[in-house]
Amino acid sequence: MFRLPLYGVRILDLTMAWAGPYATRLLGDMGAEVIKVEAVNNWDLLRSFTGQPPTVERVWDKSPYFNHVNRDKYGCVLDLSQEKGRELFLRLAAISDVVIENFRAEVMENLGLTYETLSAANPQLIVVSMPGHGSTGPERDFIAYGTNVEQLSGLCHLTGYEGGPPQKTGISYGDPMAGIAAAGAIALALWDRRRSGRGQYVEVAQRENLINMIGEQVVAYSMTGREPARRGNRDSSMAPHGCYPCRGEDQWLTIACEDDAQFAALCQAMGRPELASDARFADVVSRYRNQDALDGEIAAWTRVQSKEEAAEALQAAGVPASPVLSAPEVFEDPHLRARGFFETVAHSVAGVWEVEGPHWRFSEAPAHIRLPAPAFGEHNGYVFRELLGLSEDEVARLEAEGVTGATPNWAVHE
Amino acid sequence: MPSESGSSLEDLRVLELTGGVAAGYCGKLFAGYGADVIKVEPPSGDPLRRRGPFAAEWPHRETGATWLYLGTRKRSVTLDLLQPSGQRLFRRMVEEANVIVESFPPGHLDSLGIGFEALRAIKRRIVVVSITPYGQSGPKAGWRATNLTSFASGGQMSLTGEPDREPLVNGGSQAEYQAGMQAFAAAALAAHQADVTEVPQHVDISAQECMASALELYLPWWAYLKRDISKRRGNVMSGMVGVFPAADGHIGLHIMPRNWPWFARAMGREELIDDPKFRDNYTRLQNNDELEAIVYAWAAGQSAKELYRQAGAARAPIAFVHTLADLLESEQLRARGYFHEVEHPQAGSLTYPGPPFRMSEMEWGADRAPLLGEHNRELYCEEMGLSGRELSHLRAAGVV
Repeated sequence: MFRLPLYGVRILDLTMAWAGPYATRLLGDMGAEVIKVEAVNNWDLLRSFTGQPPTVERVWDKSPYFNHVNRDKYGCVLDLSQEKGRELFLRLAAISDVVIENFRAEVMENLGLTYETLSAANPQLIVVSMPGHGSTGPERDFIAYGTNVEQLSGLCHLTGYEGGPPQKTGISYGDPMAGIAAAGAIALALWDRRRSGRGQYVEVAQRENLINMIGEQVVAYSMTGREPARRGNRDSSMAPHGCYPCRGEDQWLTIACEDDAQFAALCQAMGRPELASDARFADVVSRYRNQDALDGEIAAWTRVQSKEEAAEALQAAGVPASPVLSAPEVFEDPHLRARGFFETVAHSVAGVWEVEGPHWRFSEAPAHIRLPAPAFGEHNGYVFRELLGLSEDEVARLEAEGVTGATPNWAVHE
Repeated sequence: MPSESGSSLEDLRVLELTGGVAAGYCGKLFAGYGADVIKVEPPSGDPLRRRGPFAAEWPHRETGATWLYLGTRKRSVTLDLLQPSGQRLFRRMVEEANVIVESFPPGHLDSLGIGFEALRAIKRRIVVVSITPYGQSGPKAGWRATNLTSFASGGQMSLTGEPDREPLVNGGSQAEYQAGMQAFAAAALAAHQADVTEVPQHVDISAQECMASALELYLPWWAYLKRDISKRRGNVMSGMVGVFPAADGHIGLHIMPRNWPWFARAMGREELIDDPKFRDNYTRLQNNDELEAIVYAWAAGQSAKELYRQAGAARAPIAFVHTLADLLESEQLRARGYFHEVEHPQAGSLTYPGPPFRMSEMEWGADRAPLLGEHNRELYCEEMGLSGRELSHLRAAGVV
């Protein structure tokens, strides 16, 4: 028998959209009791990305984006902007380990739920905030969503085709990166609390976190004063290094050779052994200089290959190569399937389908998806009756006053 | 001496075995918040030391930017793990360690007799974090990778770049940084639970799985709706979200439905607010081509920095694409004291990023990266009790 690493840790989750919910998904996957708190007039935007007509019954519980990100969490409905809701939230905070939010800078202050207030209710509470810019500074109130965070971090500037404009990453990149940082910070805070007996306040300024992921570029710039030129899929020293077209529509293979031996193996696998001793390509420096010609030779080969077969052949020869996998191809990847990465989940409203599983694989505490994402207000009973000990009448009064409810106000995120 | 950070992490010791950017970033994160992180390098040095640019322009194993950045606050010892004498010394080091971070091909440490099963017999609550491109098991477990090919494997690359061109890897080494940061968070959790329960863990982090878990709505829509919306859309997702050329740079829009009235006014097109073609999410999507054309034309005449200030004051989500110079000149980042100058005996004084997150009870620091083997004497002799002569023997044999 084993316990999941976060067994017994209760997290009050006020986060919405992707950054915060990605953090709490990581922690929920590892056994934390994550209680997601929404309100009738303040519910998670991701519930509105349904891909289905709004007339579908309980469509807000059928958003695949929401349901993947929010699995392994409980869900309740509580309006913190009402005094009664705030009071109940404080009572929940008193019996929880973590409160996490990713609101705009002053929201928690306006709700009267500052760190001072929360830690007075529970000195062991770990409180996590995830503002775009941080809680201080002249731009602290500027709005920055995940794509903006990428622009503000320097990463967008570093990305792009040769001679082309800065290019955004194809996902809202800043969001999950901030989420990982928040999850890691909570783990550190739990370690610290065990020794100090106290909680603490954690701030993940999303932009500052992302700059750390290009940190060596900052140090390099400090050295040279030179902005790195965008170079597409090429490298500063490896050649060949690129993305080559394969058979079929939008099918691509990435290849990178780190040294002469891998290059020779590549040439052999392509049936072009003579290229390895071609004066244009025979050594590291010449190969780099003559990349245009070299890429042409490689593309001539890849064009008539299936990307999967070409990758297998190159890997068998010890050459780093991978097909560029689309999201559907990731979903079907035999390697991920062999690792049991996708799990069947039954959701109370949305039905049954496969969801990617927990990717922090602990040998002595293997984690699997334990809960589907919560339907709106699904665990109101658990939170109000069991955790808070309210009576049926008290809960009915809360419903009547709009402090809780069972249906989100769809117009909010129309 | 072991970390004197004053942080409660100072009694957490991490042995970071050579393994590229992912392991390096994982270790750097631990070191920053006060853990005692020891880089265990082969006597010839971590291959990361080879990456330029280099201070003073000449390749030098102490002054490469990647090494300097990822090496902050770590100790360095040299050790040849391929030799039995090195493995033996390593086993002794494990007795005082909490976390081992490694990125070798799956099975490599086992073949040397210092894999998880061997180490848990030495230190009951040891955590071994193995970071690889594809994980410890499965048909691709032995696949070789660089950041480019790893990024291709996880789905994010197929979404990046223009629709009519090849997909694009993003800047720096994001596949490796993602894996490294995920490994840090997982390892910190494993260390905490080992602290509480004395249960060891072998943590298997696959870079591919990390990236596959962060495919936004693209994987969920395929999994649930069997709708493939994963075609690249380049810089512009819609007239409301994307990177657009401005007069003096590039702006990034992430306009939400509630920002629409402000945005229409900002473009000088107040009449569009209630225009039936653009009044809500659904109609804006229907008429996206027309909206994009309006936005492109407007953006081209805007000053990126000026627009950023205006939008910021109006709480509207418009950013501008910062260059590295823009980052260092940013009033916001300066006010936050984000960048630090760090002095290094060979590289001189350079500018480094500050903490990725701030904790009220745990300080963060970025003391300089160590010289190769700088802490051999300190660890092997002063802490582990080897004599100077013994250290000399090991050095002569290339073990240290």
